[in-house]
Amino acid sequence: MKTSRSLLFSSLLLLPACALARQGTNEPLDAAVIRSLQPGKTTAREVVERLGAPTEVVQLGRRTAYRYDASATKSTALILLLVNFANQDTRTDRLWVFFDENNLLTHHGAWYGTHRPQYAMPWEDVHEAEDNAEADAERPGVVQ
Amino acid sequence: MKGAAAALLALLAAGCVQGEYNRITVDEPLREELVAPLRPGMDTLAHCLAQLGAPHRVFEYRVGQDGTSGAALLWVWREAAGWGVDVSGGSDEASASFSFNLADTELPGCVLWFGPDLVLERWQRGTLGDLLPGRQRPSPQPAD
Repeated sequence: MKTSRSLLFSSLLLLPACALARQGTNEPLDAAVIRSLQPGKTTAREVVERLGAPTEVVQLGRRTAYRYDASATKSTALILLLVNFANQDTRTDRLWVFFDENNLLTHHGAWYGTHRPQYAMPWEDVHEAEDNAEADAERPGVVQ
Repeated sequence: MKGAAAALLALLAAGCVQGEYNRITVDEPLREELVAPLRPGMDTLAHCLAQLGAPHRVFEYRVGQDGTSGAALLWVWREAAGWGVDVSGGSDEASASFSFNLADTELPGCVLWFGPDLVLERWQRGTLGDLLPGRQRPSPQPAD
């Protein structure tokens, strides 16, 4: 009995372990709200009312540009006795809105990526088009 | 010699020293087939944002005496993988997950430069060291 317990304990020590973790910053951007922005009509004030405070404001001469972003990270680790394998995949949502000197929206561009990170091993391709398309299909309103 | 080997074995067995293979990916490379067709002198900021989505950063570019300015748009991504030795049993990479360090001159990226009329002047792929040389901090002056 004592021997079998020792064997069981020893084998548990040698077994591999896996770890998964997920972390993010900011809320993913709302594609429907971004689609409601209208160049030539929407003002900087309206953008802030709809999206909140930007992450960054950049002066471009008389123009200004606001950055909104969010990120999502999925981490995977395979922990063995002598060696560990770890992967960390981060993607971001990004929105830039450009205003003229009258604070009227002139341009905007968005990128949606926070739904795309994958739990993967470091030797797996995490940028495959099929995987991205599959993830995109599960996030309504996102067309890259 | 035997003592050193025994100590190393003990450290390995205790998980204090482990080999590790880590990969970190942040966002996806800007696809060549989207960038290559862009036409300097023709394509506008609106067109480029529609084609490429939002950049990671926007910088003021070519500020004129009259207060007008162009804009430089930067896309950046990261894919780093490699072997290492973890002495502590933990990994610092996990906490340093997201955020591009724009002072990292080796990061790959792509910049599009727009003149004050917001028409594309040129674009370039490369490392941040090549793309944003003027934005790097100067080296410390040697002490006299």
